[in-house]
Amino acid sequence: MRRHLFLTVLAIFLLFLGACSSGSDKETAGKKESTGDWKPEGPIEIVAPAGAGGGWDTTARMTAQVLNEEGMIKENIGVVNKSGGGGAVGWAYVAGFEGNPHKLFVSSPPIVLIPLNGQSEYGHEDFTPLSNLIADYAAFAVREDAKWDNLNELFEDMKKDPESITVVGASAPGSMDHIQFVQIAKAAGVDIKKIKYVSDQEGGALTQLLNGSVDVYSTGVAETVEQVKAGKIKVLGVTSEERLEGEVLEDFPTAIEQGIDETFINWRGFFGPADMDPAAVDFYEKKFKELSDSDAFAEIRDQFGWDEMYLNNEEYKQFLNEQKKDIKSLLDELGISAN
Amino acid sequence: MGSIDGIVTGFQTAFSMEGILFVMIGVLVGTFIGMLPGLGPISAIAVMIPVTFGMDPTSALIMMAGVYYGAVFGGSTSSILLNAPGISGTVATAFDGYPMAQQGKAGKALAIAAIASFTGGTVSVIMLMLLAPALSSIAVSFGPPAYFALMVLGLTAISSLSEGSTIKALISAVVGFMVVTIGIDAQTGTQRFTFGNPNLLEGLDFLVIALGLFALAEVCTLVLNRKDTSVKNAHKIGSIKLSKKDLHEMKGPITRQSLLGFILGVLPGAGATIASFIAYISEKRLSKNPEEFGKGSIKGLAAPETANNAATSGAFVPLLSLGIPGSGTTAVLLGAFLVLGVQPGPLLMTDRPEIFWGIIASMYIGNIFLLILNLPLIPYIAKILKIPRPLLISLVIMFSMIGVYAISFNTFDLYMLLLFGVIGFLMRLFSFPAPPFILAFILGGMLEQSFRQSLTISNGSLSIFITNPISLMLLLLALLSFIIPLLRQLWLRKARKTN
Repeated sequence: MRRHLFLTVLAIFLLFLGACSSGSDKETAGKKESTGDWKPEGPIEIVAPAGAGGGWDTTARMTAQVLNEEGMIKENIGVVNKSGGGGAVGWAYVAGFEGNPHKLFVSSPPIVLIPLNGQSEYGHEDFTPLSNLIADYAAFAVREDAKWDNLNELFEDMKKDPESITVVGASAPGSMDHIQFVQIAKAAGVDIKKIKYVSDQEGGALTQLLNGSVDVYSTGVAETVEQVKAGKIKVLGVTSEERLEGEVLEDFPTAIEQGIDETFINWRGFFGPADMDPAAVDFYEKKFKELSDSDAFAEIRDQFGWDEMYLNNEEYKQFLNEQKKDIKSLLDELGISAN
Repeated sequence: MGSIDGIVTGFQTAFSMEGILFVMIGVLVGTFIGMLPGLGPISAIAVMIPVTFGMDPTSALIMMAGVYYGAVFGGSTSSILLNAPGISGTVATAFDGYPMAQQGKAGKALAIAAIASFTGGTVSVIMLMLLAPALSSIAVSFGPPAYFALMVLGLTAISSLSEGSTIKALISAVVGFMVVTIGIDAQTGTQRFTFGNPNLLEGLDFLVIALGLFALAEVCTLVLNRKDTSVKNAHKIGSIKLSKKDLHEMKGPITRQSLLGFILGVLPGAGATIASFIAYISEKRLSKNPEEFGKGSIKGLAAPETANNAATSGAFVPLLSLGIPGSGTTAVLLGAFLVLGVQPGPLLMTDRPEIFWGIIASMYIGNIFLLILNLPLIPYIAKILKIPRPLLISLVIMFSMIGVYAISFNTFDLYMLLLFGVIGFLMRLFSFPAPPFILAFILGGMLEQSFRQSLTISNGSLSIFITNPISLMLLLLALLSFIIPLLRQLWLRKARKTN
């Protein structure tokens, strides 16, 4: 699986170099307009700690593209895939560049979850959170002919007979697909220790739902759309605060409107290595804000069905610490916390 | 059936000038990249994705599909000539292909592989066209218990792959099982045997093991036996002409394995690898001379080569009609679809018939191209063996390293490659067969995961494997394929005694 990513990256990177080399003489002229004390002194590398085509990779590529195309950052931004360990390999790589303001990476809830599971020695505290950009949400789907029509009916059955219902996700217990379901189920009063969860990392989770091996599929909102359109599955609930916009998406009820007062945000933002120059943090914060407010990025958010969720360095840090506390208590209750 | 219109549209798309041109480019690139040791369809597709940016989606996807099956087609070359399988689907090809090449029949081996690949590919495209809509329901019918049973059936091949000592074959397989547990366990999230090393979190890649145990171990043996005159034949290419007898011998395996390979290819996750192994063992079981297998048997080469190409077309069923990628390679291909704004799934056939049927129709042309591209080239490709031994050995080492390094640009993988090269060499010295090791490594991960998924679903009851009809059937087949050779041996012994 991993092999193609790097060839793709290599190929894209070569095309990129070719496309950008002609613009290099403009760079020096443009530097004056920046107000901060710090400016990039060379190409910037954004690490996507996963394979090509996934959420991290897409976010990194789209961000790099808009930053460069709109001229917000003149230096070339290259995206590098470092997959492995659900992100741990990429984080270990960036952690080795302490203080280097030219190495960024994109991240999301796993950087909180995976260290708590004991699978990464690096967590969000070991990096400099720069800005959060977008929010995505989870969806819980069942077969079209399933007996449940909303989350409450499902959770009622889970309370009565937890052994009869199996939940499937694409990642291991304690990681995102599991925790997003557990978090909502807990708010609905389900005994989360009794939830039966299986993980299928070979891309078979949807197959298992369709053939009736399992009952509930915990996944991202975008993954459900095509099957809902085809009338094969129905979405019982999504984890956003308000209903999502867009064809099909707007029909998905939120957990909140079903009386379950809980949300789960699959946030995505950018981090740098530890001990980054405050002036560099300032620089990136401004650039990401500019990006988040731009029409070009709004278009990309629409295209991928993401919500806007900008947080600056300070807000981001606070948000992450709260996330960690919440998730740690969930993992403790499940008995899978590493500490 | 409304799909008749769709099929007509598909043929129009595929047989347009553009369609033909892009199929040609696709299979050309695919087959050449596939021929290089250590590089397979995943690399070929990945290299071509950036080329498709801005192209018309239909042409682009016809090309990408061509790259995929072209690379599977070409992949047999490095297995046969150098014992360096680039993808798991061609491991079984090396079992008889490489011995054949060493006997000075490289040309013939490549010709058999090309014809088997062509037939497997074409037969399965016909079935794909006739059955794609209906087959999508079969593709999702396999739940975890059925997968477990299928893996067990695949594992019965161990007994067929053991030359000599059965105990040594079993030890080799057990070590393979142990190695595949390295990494984060999917069902609990616990690290196993990683020793805190983040490079091991994802486990070891198939290529590291395959190129280590096969290619590097072979290189070591060649260096050790450099004065041995018996390998002189290996420089000979021989005629590529197949006699009537050869063709007759190929007929059976090719017909059977085209069908079987296609069906197994339809199952997500099973795909070309298990198809090629099951093809190999089933032909060995059916053969009147099973002792020829592993020593350059025509049937032993034709069977897996037919099956892996047939399975490749089969893999398009879940990909196109469900949007479910059945393997790492089709996952990348799915990525290529998404980049072009095409969402494969249940609606593709009705929403974008020109893409759905265009790809399928283009595979007919693609397979014909592959055959006329490959057959005349065989004498030239086989000249690889004429390269002076020291140079050839260095090239194999170099390509193996490039292939492994390209997995993740991580030098750690190179050390692992060397380690498995040494392990493979030692295994040869002490005559532990490598095929059971690689088979256990390939099947072990899915075997374990599907077993544990099943038990979670059934709340720990083993009866789930018997109450599920598909799983029960496959387990019985596995039992039969285990017992029949034993009975046959007993029967032979008895027959000899009474004589």
